[in-house]
Amino acid sequence: MSDFEVQVEGQPVEAAPDVRLLLDDPVTGVGRLIRGDTAIAVIVEGSGSDRVVTLRGRRIAVSVRSWRERILAEAERAAASHAGPIAVTATLPGLVVAVGATVGDEVEEGASLVTIEAMKMQNEVRAPRAGRVIEVSVEPGQTVATGAAMLRLE
Amino acid sequence: MSLHTDRPRPPFERLLIANRGEIAVRVIRACRELGISPIAVHSDADVDAIHVRQADASQRIGPPSPAESYLSIEAILEAAHRSGAQAIHPGYGFLSENADFARAVADAGLTFVGPPAETLASLGNKLAARRGAESAGVPIVPGTTVAVDDDLDGVAAIGFPLMLKAAAGGGGRGMRRVDAEDGLGEALVAARREAVSAFGDGTVYAERLLAPARHVEVQLLGDRHGNLAVLGERDCSVQRRHQKLVEETPSPAVDLETRAALFDSARRVAGTVDFHNAATVEFLLDAERRHYFLEMNTRLQVEHGVTEMATGVDIVAWQIRVAAGDTLPDAILQPEPRGHAIEVRLYAEDPYADFRPSAGHLTVWRLPDGPGVRVDAGVEADTVLRSEYDPLLAKLMVHAEDRPAAVDRLRRALDETLIGGVQTDAGFLRWLVDRPEFIEGAYDTGFIAEHWPAGQRLGPEEASLAAAAAIGMRAMEPATGGPSQPAAAEGSAWGRTARLEARRG
Repeated sequence: MSDFEVQVEGQPVEAAPDVRLLLDDPVTGVGRLIRGDTAIAVIVEGSGSDRVVTLRGRRIAVSVRSWRERILAEAERAAASHAGPIAVTATLPGLVVAVGATVGDEVEEGASLVTIEAMKMQNEVRAPRAGRVIEVSVEPGQTVATGAAMLRLE
Repeated sequence: MSLHTDRPRPPFERLLIANRGEIAVRVIRACRELGISPIAVHSDADVDAIHVRQADASQRIGPPSPAESYLSIEAILEAAHRSGAQAIHPGYGFLSENADFARAVADAGLTFVGPPAETLASLGNKLAARRGAESAGVPIVPGTTVAVDDDLDGVAAIGFPLMLKAAAGGGGRGMRRVDAEDGLGEALVAARREAVSAFGDGTVYAERLLAPARHVEVQLLGDRHGNLAVLGERDCSVQRRHQKLVEETPSPAVDLETRAALFDSARRVAGTVDFHNAATVEFLLDAERRHYFLEMNTRLQVEHGVTEMATGVDIVAWQIRVAAGDTLPDAILQPEPRGHAIEVRLYAEDPYADFRPSAGHLTVWRLPDGPGVRVDAGVEADTVLRSEYDPLLAKLMVHAEDRPAAVDRLRRALDETLIGGVQTDAGFLRWLVDRPEFIEGAYDTGFIAEHWPAGQRLGPEEASLAAAAAIGMRAMEPATGGPSQPAAAEGSAWGRTARLEARRG
């Protein structure tokens, strides 16, 4: 399948040759990888170029792009690199137990900004880069979903 | 042999299960076999949960937050009254070791499936339990038997590394490792603060860190007439963050002499308290097979199932029967364990990201079956996992004639396991069963920290297979457009038909 460019967890990878996918359930993506006379159960989730393949219990992020998609994505990335403010989002769902920054704070990259408690564990959400906090939209006691915007950095 | 034919009538008419998930389902099954009508409870997040649907009835006990539902003594007692239950089974976790709850249940004229409140109160204080074990002649981990005050010299004399533990903690929670004297003061402040926030009690004690060590526990079952059954030991040494992931019985590290010594110590510890119920006495076993008492839990353990498989004793049914006053029969007092049983815990946790909890939508849930396999699950396909609750999804247990056969069976069972939508620890468990240390039974509590960092690297073979799977899927779909086009999404009838066509081809 040389039409596709494949990256597995961000690294370019050559697909195993002599392997084919037999789909057992198109709705859930459950199938089997057949190589010679062995079969390995897999799940392929996602749509478009972003897929998640579950193999031997591990969810593996795979990006499969046609040449056209790759060129479009590069153009998009180039447009986005004129970076403005960035949102700091929740990396997991849970209860906000502490907010370590207020509007106007200058924070270092890696500084702990929000503590989220989920399943009895406390998890720190850290600054992805240095910057000034321009907005704080969560407070302790509030629950957040994965991806929820919590702060903005400039 | 039925162990319940001696009971013409069920021990209770209706029993309320003050828990959720797989353990609620487990108790419901025991109720069914005993002829008891099981009553579930649920928070607003659990209206459709599997334990609710399997019970005869379910009572709402509050909003999703555990503090306002599964931990609310008031809400649960009200539910018991509304449902007409005569007894309450607390499961594990939540209120299972809460002395106030046990007392409130008794005061309400109901039967608590567990020990008396006073027993929970005395064992709940790990420091008092340490003193009790020591006075019964049972070796304890070297350390303090009184609360750590600000006299750091006394603590430093124990030696490093050491563990600071919350007296009100337990089950692996409220613990902090200290490697050297200069970190002690700071660690003590942090440990106290954690203990206050988690348990409402800042009392902390210190124990020397024993390493390498194995975590071995003894399963007990006692009745109200002074009979005590010792149902064997379990090895729970495969742990992450002091939480068990794998349990097996018998322990590969325990020989006959060690087993006799462990059983004797467990009986001595049990003798220090008034107890009738299932209980576990936990020990650390050092490299010379010396054992040291850690704690005693007078409740059902998560890992009770492996003991049930090896002994044939239904621990949950007998918990309920002894709560009703029944006497343990000889078949249980002199158990004859056979073969080897192993349990692995399937958690919604990401072993490739430090075992962080992973909530989400469980799309595929295919669990193993067949000879010698038992699955106790609290979820099914199409379940949305909530972050409020314990990430344990299911326990997968196998039983076979000996340990090598049990390991082979476990490997087969894990190969049949397919879970989609949420990262679980299944990949870690599959890796584990191929490790020579695990196959030989030569592992200790430091195993994951030592070996898993290398194990979690994605190998080139997996990467190329994953790539082939993703390409195979795309190739079955209709022609693709730009990066954000939705036409090939799994919901589309077009895509589904095309994929079915491809499958035929």
